[in-house]
Amino acid sequence: MKFAVCVKQVPGTTEVQLDPVTHTIIRDGRKGVTNPFDAAAVELAVTLKEQVGGSVTAISMGIPAAESMLRDCIARGADEGVLLTDRQFAGADTLATSYTLSKGIEKMGGADCILCGRMAVDGDTAQIGPELAERLGLPHVTDVIAVLSVEENALVLRKTTADGTIDLRVALPCVITVLREVAQVRLPSIEGIRRSFAAPVHVWSAADIGTDPARTGLNGSPTQVMRTFVPEKTKITKMFSGTPEEQATALCTALKEVL
Amino acid sequence: MLIQPFSPAHAGLVRDESRTVGYADSVSFPRSHEQVTQIVRSLYQDGIPFTVQGARTGLTAAAVPFGGHILNVTRMNRILGLNRLGENGFSVSVQPGVPLCELRKALSARRFDHASWSKASLGALSAFMHSREQFFPPDPTETTATLGGMVSCNASGARSYRYGATRPYVLAVRAVLPDGRSLSLRRGECFADGYTLTLPLENGSRLTVQIPQYIMPKTKNTAGYFAAPDMDAVDLLVGSDGTLCVFTELELQLLPLPACIQGVTCLFETEIQAAAFVQAVREQVEGVVSLEYFDEGALAVLRDQRADHPAFASLPPLDEWIGAALYVELHGDDEAFVTDRLNEIGDLLSACGGDPAHTWVARTQTDLDRLMFFRHAVPESVNLLIDRRKQAEPGITKLGSDMAVPDEHLDHILTYYRQTTQALGLHTATWGHIGNNHLHVNVLPRNLEEYTKGKALFNEWAHKVTALNGAVSAEHGVGKLKAGFLTAMYSPESLAQMRAVKAAFDPKLLLGRGNLFAEKEESR
Ligand SMILES: Cc1cc2nc3c(=O)[nH]c(=O)nc-3n(C[C@H](O)[C@H](O)[C@H](O)COP(=O)(O)OP(=O)(O)OC[C@H]3O[C@@H](n4cnc5c(N)ncnc54)[C@H](O)[C@@H]3O)c2cc1C
Repeated sequence: MKFAVCVKQVPGTTEVQLDPVTHTIIRDGRKGVTNPFDAAAVELAVTLKEQVGGSVTAISMGIPAAESMLRDCIARGADEGVLLTDRQFAGADTLATSYTLSKGIEKMGGADCILCGRMAVDGDTAQIGPELAERLGLPHVTDVIAVLSVEENALVLRKTTADGTIDLRVALPCVITVLREVAQVRLPSIEGIRRSFAAPVHVWSAADIGTDPARTGLNGSPTQVMRTFVPEKTKITKMFSGTPEEQATALCTALKEVL
Repeated sequence: MLIQPFSPAHAGLVRDESRTVGYADSVSFPRSHEQVTQIVRSLYQDGIPFTVQGARTGLTAAAVPFGGHILNVTRMNRILGLNRLGENGFSVSVQPGVPLCELRKALSARRFDHASWSKASLGALSAFMHSREQFFPPDPTETTATLGGMVSCNASGARSYRYGATRPYVLAVRAVLPDGRSLSLRRGECFADGYTLTLPLENGSRLTVQIPQYIMPKTKNTAGYFAAPDMDAVDLLVGSDGTLCVFTELELQLLPLPACIQGVTCLFETEIQAAAFVQAVREQVEGVVSLEYFDEGALAVLRDQRADHPAFASLPPLDEWIGAALYVELHGDDEAFVTDRLNEIGDLLSACGGDPAHTWVARTQTDLDRLMFFRHAVPESVNLLIDRRKQAEPGITKLGSDMAVPDEHLDHILTYYRQTTQALGLHTATWGHIGNNHLHVNVLPRNLEEYTKGKALFNEWAHKVTALNGAVSAEHGVGKLKAGFLTAMYSPESLAQMRAVKAAFDPKLLLGRGNLFAEKEESR
């Protein structure tokens, strides 16, 4: 079975640091990481591949530096990577991103099962998976927490719903989005890392995948970001010290103040 | 009133993580140097013995009082400021009750409560915000430990293989002596003249101390006072096990955090393969900051824990064939360097009977945290196991060793520990700092008989390790529980020299009674 997993590089931290004197924002140089939901999707795809055979391709739209993330996916069991990178793709909202990804997947020759994380932790929209399915004309299931079985032409899945969970059968090919609990992400081995340096990561531009410039990047994005700002922190952490009784008393007093 | 009578509400304060339970008559929770001075003066006047306490995570009962007063410094928990050292360096000034985890959090988030900081400190903070991330290298596993406790015990951790213990990071201290006088010392400013050390006190008076003349082992060591001719005065106070002074302020050196940190846990079938790998890594791989070991017994406890407790379910699966595991941490200034080292480790694994496929590599913070959780889960699981056994046999407790030997004796000591515990049929779990030949062999007694056997065995080990030029206590300090081992490691003359140091600082022998020196020797 051929699996394609859409992965996104997200900032390693969401903490914002301020200079106490000048009050300017300080960017910390921490490296980007794989969106944790996507990491779970890769793990699920690799586990399924180990059960039923086939291949796993990790695909990402991003800056050239995202290649290292794709190699990390390979170190954790994927077979190859596809990086869609082009100036034209910059500033994409979910509509333009799902369009670009769908063109990349088409160029790959499609896949039997396309997996996405439920959402990216830096955007929180959870729109890419369903949009991608619509673009490719495939059925989709969101919020999957388990693959119960893989059949000849279908997957049996468990997904969460507002009221609990539901088990359903979806015909292949299909798109699924997963929650983090769908799989415990494995740690790569030294052998896996060695393989990741040797394995192919295809880097494709807009011309390579034949996207329409009006539908990618900022041009193809009806979403307008009016303003971004750091929400004011209202949570205050208080540490109580002393004996357990003293701490309990202090806690009660503090709780009384807020209740 | 700073000094309060001891009440049932303070019951928790008469024990530490060694689970030794003591008793006390009064307690105090000072917030400043001045308050400590006031308390200590009054205790001195009345001749009341007292014990200083940090977070009570110690494993030697050093902070457990047997009578007298408890001076608990956990409310002295403010970070006092940052200082610049040269062009790019920094140090941090703290009160001794700041927990290590709080310092780490503040450093990595670069967030401090700086409302009362001096102008110079704020200037340093501004530079700090734009500098590379800084860290405080000493890393004992228990991060709720206070910095004062760490300095008192000269604590170390996994990364001490490369960065050393706490001692070299202590740049300056302020302290109150047992008679209430104050002392400020800065590294590099006050040295012994041969074996005579004269300390200038804040009130203009002087304190003269004769430094012991024993030769310290070249291994990691926290057994007894640091002593060397012409030594820096700061070094005597670090590792003094709560017996010479009460620290009230500490200035600690920071280092720039390496740009690339990666860890790898390597899985082996046998201990022999793991030991061969340790030797090879020590000789051939650069950039290694930790080399940590988990033996078959430790892995078995973890395997059961993972199966039985959901809290441990996120641990990576441990297949039955795995008989030993080693964690190697690599630090470097760029990723290419660290990746090359990782590759070398892969080659050494193949040469030592391991397999590059049987490794867990962490290259992201999330993955490093998982391997850290694995390491922490070992002592935690062992403690849970002992708690269960204690229900059936309340008299037992875990017996944990803390001894180190020189590099050339690693194979020998591993075999020796294995043979002597097996000969007595004891259940053990071993882990720790194998890079420094410093293992915590934990005897997990199933009954009182095994407990007694284990205790006697540890005494035998103290003699054995001393004969190999090792240390009977490498990082936890001596406290009360290991005072007996000191008599294995030092001659009566050396012990008398140590007692003379103690008497010079504390003529009434009030502070930390029972620590280092067995109680019966100390009470006149
Ligand atoms: C699970 C676990 C893992 C551990 N791992 C490690 C490890 O890896 N490495 C390691 O080195 N230790 C380790 N320890 C032991 C312990 O955490 C350290 O010894 C630590 O340094 C003790 O700090 P504390 O604040 O808890 O001190 P306490 O236990 O409160 O006191 C320890 C000693 O310091 C003295 N002291 C405390 N504060 C002051 C002060 N302000 N002035 C003068 N004396 C003072 C006390 O009098 C006492 O003698 C571990 C403990 C546990 C429970």
